[in-house]
Amino acid sequence: MSDRIDSPLLEIEHLAIRRNLEALLDDVSLRVARGSLHVIVGPNGAGKSTLLSAVLGLIPFSGRIILNWSRSGAIGYVPQSFPVDPTLPVTVEDFLALTRQRRPICLGLSATTRRTVVGILARVGLSGLERRALAVLSGGELRRVLLAHALDPEPELLILDEPTAGLDETAGQWLEDTLTTIKREGRTTILMVSHDLDQVRRIADRVTILDRRIVAEGSVAEVLATASIRDLLPVGSSRGGRR
Amino acid sequence: MTAFYEWIAALARQGVLPSDFQYPFLIRGFFCVLVLAPILGGLSHLVVTRRMAFFSAALGQAALTGVAIGLLLGEPLNAPYGGMFGFCLLATLGMVFVKRHATLPPDTLIGVFHALTLGLGLCLLVAVTRQFNVHQVESVLFGSLLTVTDADLALLVAVGIIVTALLVRQYNRLLLDSLNPPLASVAGANSAFLEYFFAILLTVSIIVSLKIIGALLVEALIVVPAAAARNIAHGTRSYLAWSVGVAFLAGAGGLGISTKLLVPTGGAVVLAVSVIFFITLAISRFARGRRATA
Repeated sequence: MSDRIDSPLLEIEHLAIRRNLEALLDDVSLRVARGSLHVIVGPNGAGKSTLLSAVLGLIPFSGRIILNWSRSGAIGYVPQSFPVDPTLPVTVEDFLALTRQRRPICLGLSATTRRTVVGILARVGLSGLERRALAVLSGGELRRVLLAHALDPEPELLILDEPTAGLDETAGQWLEDTLTTIKREGRTTILMVSHDLDQVRRIADRVTILDRRIVAEGSVAEVLATASIRDLLPVGSSRGGRR
Repeated sequence: MTAFYEWIAALARQGVLPSDFQYPFLIRGFFCVLVLAPILGGLSHLVVTRRMAFFSAALGQAALTGVAIGLLLGEPLNAPYGGMFGFCLLATLGMVFVKRHATLPPDTLIGVFHALTLGLGLCLLVAVTRQFNVHQVESVLFGSLLTVTDADLALLVAVGIIVTALLVRQYNRLLLDSLNPPLASVAGANSAFLEYFFAILLTVSIIVSLKIIGALLVEALIVVPAAAARNIAHGTRSYLAWSVGVAFLAGAGGLGISTKLLVPTGGAVVLAVSVIFFITLAISRFARGRRATA
């Protein structure tokens, strides 16, 4: 791991984000090793999603965020929430085709796009759901669709914001297995926010505890053993957040 | 164009086309509907997806103020496009800018603009009616086929082509941005650009529709076709097709009602589109009931 930390994919230096006069993040410095699965944990309101938004370039910040791309420079993103209007007639294949063909999807999907969509849905175990409306998918199915969207084209950096929040045991386990497989393949660096410390222990390479500033950072064994973490996030806190 | 109108009128006299097509204003109106349906129907499904229905209503009111400004500045009564384009674009840019930079909910901010433009419009209309008979302004408020000219139709066609061409280029990004702006940004879309871009396209399309539909009623043809389409569509393609289809049916139906009953075109079109909406709602309920019992 130390070799990989020497050539990190993502370097964050003295990041600060303010809203009005409130500091959402203050002097955050962090390095994410290439090919690793790096998890950010912290209490509600700690600035975890804000940090991801800054990395994605969605909000203004001070400090530096450096991405040392070596391949495609593609980022895959799975947002924390994806509210879908229940009457919206957009199907799974429509959604996945949005970034995969130039022709407006309302004029139909090309044969190539259809083949691609079938392939990426099979990868996340959702074969046959192409024509299903997004609005009628279960929370777990929707999360898989979002992951399918994020994984094609193969990202160099995959960012997930609490991907297991609200999922049942089976769906959570499936996601965990998928992330482990992606990590093992070694081509994608994963940066993820999680509340589930048990899951963090099982899959993470490194952990950062964030509470508007960096509280602790290091390997899972080092970080999750300290007392302050138990104060921030009681051990056993599971999906759904801090108790 | 005169020769073309005479040829259509001859077909109507021979019974090939309905007898109403003997009148040039009606032929012109029908072609306006033919062009308006894909423009407004196409925009409609994005307006509803992007939750811009109230924005469209505010734009209609802004157009009323724009007409008053145009007339006060000396524009002709049958084509106050300078005032309408100028004021509506200003209102659009103002609404989008404030929406993007303020922390208040969008509908609250649009409500403020809505009230402001309407208040200003009413004050200016009083000034306008000192120069014109208020009935002469009614055509812009409620729409009238009698005042539509060949130049209006040409402008409608030109705007339709430009809007369609621009929309085709950005459609997928606009839809993804409507579903989830962060995902669209990660995919390379510029959310701010898309918001201004779509708002301007919508503004221009609304302005060129005003003489047919009317400032007070244009919102209906921007919102209801997509609302009706949602009741029966099963994918993005059918959503667009139904939106355009409903807009066309409402336009053609409204034109027929307006001619037969001598009522303003805008009102007749809105009545027609509302009836279609309730029919699709009933179809949707019926289909859902059948699925539930199956």
